[in-house]
Amino acid sequence: MVFRPAPGAREDAVNPPEQRPSRPIVVVTGTGAVTGFGWGVVPLFEALARGERAFRTIARFDHARHRTHLAAEVPAAGRPAALAGLPHADAFALFAAEEALDAAGLARQGLGIDVGIFFASSTGNMVEAERFFAQLTATGGRRARAGLLASQPCSGPAEAIARRTGAAGPSETVSAACASGSMSVARALDALRLGECEVALAGGSDSLCQLTYGGFNALRAVDPVMTRPFREGREGLSMGEGAGVLVLETLEHAEARGATPLAILAGAGVSCDASHMTAPHPEGAGAVRAMRDALADAGLHPEEIDFVNLHGTGTPLNDEAEWAALVTVFGARARQIPVASTKALIGHLLGSAGAVEAVVTIGALREGSLHPTPGGGPPAEPPSPRTPVRIGLGAPLAVPGARFALSVNFGFGGANAALVFERPGEGA
Amino acid sequence: MNPLRGGNAGGGDAIRVRDPSPELRDVVVTGVGTLGAFGAGREALAAGLRAGVPQLSPVERPPGYHRTHSARTAALVTERNLARWVPPAAARRMGLPSRFAVAASMMAVEDAGLSREHVTPEIAARGAVFLGTAFGAALFSEQLLTEIFRDPEQASPFRFAESVANAPTAQVALALGITGANVTLTLREASPLAAIAGAAREIALGRADWALAGGVEEISPLLHAALDRFRALARPHGSGPETARPLDARRDGFVAAEGATVLLLESAERAAERGATVRARVRGAIQATDPTAPATSWGCGVDELAEALAAGLARHRVLPEEIGLVVSGASGARRGDLLEGQVLRAGWEGAELPPVTAPKGATGEYGGFIAGAAVLAMEQGLVAAPRWFEEEDEGVGINPAAALDGRPDRTVLVSTLAAAGAAAWLLLDPA
Repeated sequence: MVFRPAPGAREDAVNPPEQRPSRPIVVVTGTGAVTGFGWGVVPLFEALARGERAFRTIARFDHARHRTHLAAEVPAAGRPAALAGLPHADAFALFAAEEALDAAGLARQGLGIDVGIFFASSTGNMVEAERFFAQLTATGGRRARAGLLASQPCSGPAEAIARRTGAAGPSETVSAACASGSMSVARALDALRLGECEVALAGGSDSLCQLTYGGFNALRAVDPVMTRPFREGREGLSMGEGAGVLVLETLEHAEARGATPLAILAGAGVSCDASHMTAPHPEGAGAVRAMRDALADAGLHPEEIDFVNLHGTGTPLNDEAEWAALVTVFGARARQIPVASTKALIGHLLGSAGAVEAVVTIGALREGSLHPTPGGGPPAEPPSPRTPVRIGLGAPLAVPGARFALSVNFGFGGANAALVFERPGEGA
Repeated sequence: MNPLRGGNAGGGDAIRVRDPSPELRDVVVTGVGTLGAFGAGREALAAGLRAGVPQLSPVERPPGYHRTHSARTAALVTERNLARWVPPAAARRMGLPSRFAVAASMMAVEDAGLSREHVTPEIAARGAVFLGTAFGAALFSEQLLTEIFRDPEQASPFRFAESVANAPTAQVALALGITGANVTLTLREASPLAAIAGAAREIALGRADWALAGGVEEISPLLHAALDRFRALARPHGSGPETARPLDARRDGFVAAEGATVLLLESAERAAERGATVRARVRGAIQATDPTAPATSWGCGVDELAEALAAGLARHRVLPEEIGLVVSGASGARRGDLLEGQVLRAGWEGAELPPVTAPKGATGEYGGFIAGAAVLAMEQGLVAAPRWFEEEDEGVGINPAAALDGRPDRTVLVSTLAAAGAAAWLLLDPA
């Protein structure tokens, strides 16, 4: 086991190094993503840098009677032939996992018991289950294809990855609504620190379906125009779909096989508001705890965080609560610290949001540039005076030399999760 | 070739033992709450285990859902008056799985010698909730979809909030104000053990002092019909009841069961400080995956699972001969029970297995009852009466124990192999 204090740890950190247990350093050596911008990390990063938004009129299902009509659907173009016919969420997960394995220089198959899968999903392959249900109700059961239900459980995408890659280590799927993806990465961090596996595929996958689209509309949580996080007059989120996967391993393991770390996963924190089933705690109490726990886990002081990838759904309540949490954690610096909402461009990916946003956060650390957070109005539309965060309006925010970044996600039931990533220095 | 090392690993037959963290705290079980077809509470579960077969109820059969010769029954919760544990005003804001989970959680709290009043904000801040579910809120999801298909504008926001898989976990946190980790895991049949493992880890790492952990499930008509379409369920034979026959050669599927089982876990230090009765000690957990498993059944990855089990036992410093009882997740599934038997026998490398009990023959599958049964076995030396067992299956090679010679004085292995590949084992030591 390798141990050294978390890089950059300060003596006045929340949890000083001498009070932390010995543990290995966990690094990210590969990333993969599928989003409304297409199949792969490159189209995602390129579109984010340009400040594009992936929202289009829904093609997946008949949206005519729904209150809203936009979503960031994954385009059919670019889907590999090898993934044809698979349920959507499984296909997204497999593509992202294989892209991440390729980036990490690992084999795509025969991974064995040393590789664990720590995944997330809020609805699994629900869109296929909806087709079954539609057939069931339309034909009285005579022509309903039960095979459409085979991969419906939330665990479906993780199971698909295990089947494809032969990963035989621990496998579990977190389903904690919109915090799931960040939680799965946090769970992988534990697994690697505790030696449950040597390599972890951590991520999440969710596909656009009527259950969640109609459900969020029933809550009046979908912006009928397009999501405008932290803007005055915002009306809600916009839905997306896709998958994100990180290859995680101990630094020792990565070095032994000559792999180059893309980032260090320095810490994680999870918490619960225990306040309301669908609304965040008004002061963001649970979010504060998750962020502080993640900072403590990383041995960092809030001042050391260089930027934050926000939950940033664009719902009036979320952005207020998240701003309150930022003020509590960062104090006066809450107005200055660069932030971004990836959901403003690719939509809310629900169970996979945290995983994709982790990929984006790592990319921003490496590039020294944080993507813009476009709103629904003119490019120069400022953030709300009530939530005066520092976001890039029409252009990326430069974060040169950024070393530590926080990525946060919050979900139904008051579930919260925060991750701290570090750009590796020389020797890591 | 080891794909992780570019072919340089050299394979090696010896089990590699990874160092466990030296900082982990001891975790104990001090409370059990359970609600199933057998009734509510540990004594009801004990009676159900002694009975050996579950109380079955007919499952509603909407037109078109079930096939003609499908299973007709399930082990459904018939106790609908949960007001002792779930205030009616709160229950009205919950789906059935949330009610089950909150009721079982409050029972676990009581069983641990605590009450809602004991859970001050300070104590709640050091608590966590980990629940596992295979399918989540099946009925509300179905009803919500029906509403959306009919008219999206009439869809119920309440039903949507309670249709998410983590609703029961969140409702438990709301009921007690628990602000620590709130995690819902879905690994099909392995979900409850993985959740208990997660909670134990949270305490062992010092992030929580106590936790409520277990499993919850509801069996809706659509879920029942779907399980039957995949031939997972025991079939009716003539006019007789459907019978799960774990480990028996004549088994033809499991009996679906609904309900919840929640354990109260806490650090051994905290339990000692408050003078709590320790019911079992959590020695460790092991998880693995059978990548040969198809999406709707069990695979044939005996070697991978046996290797993972052996490596996990070594990691927790447990020799197979130190295990005094196996609480098996065998449920009556044709392929699942076969795999369970093969993995256990491979893990023991031909040596005689300790006694094996299969509580799912008495409780049905889902609901985390296996965890409650494991604790009862440790506390009372009680195992499920295997009334279903008549004919040994040579492939499985295990006869379930009809009784134990007293309480186990050695480690108990709780085993669950899930359809689609997930595996979770829990190691419990006597108090």
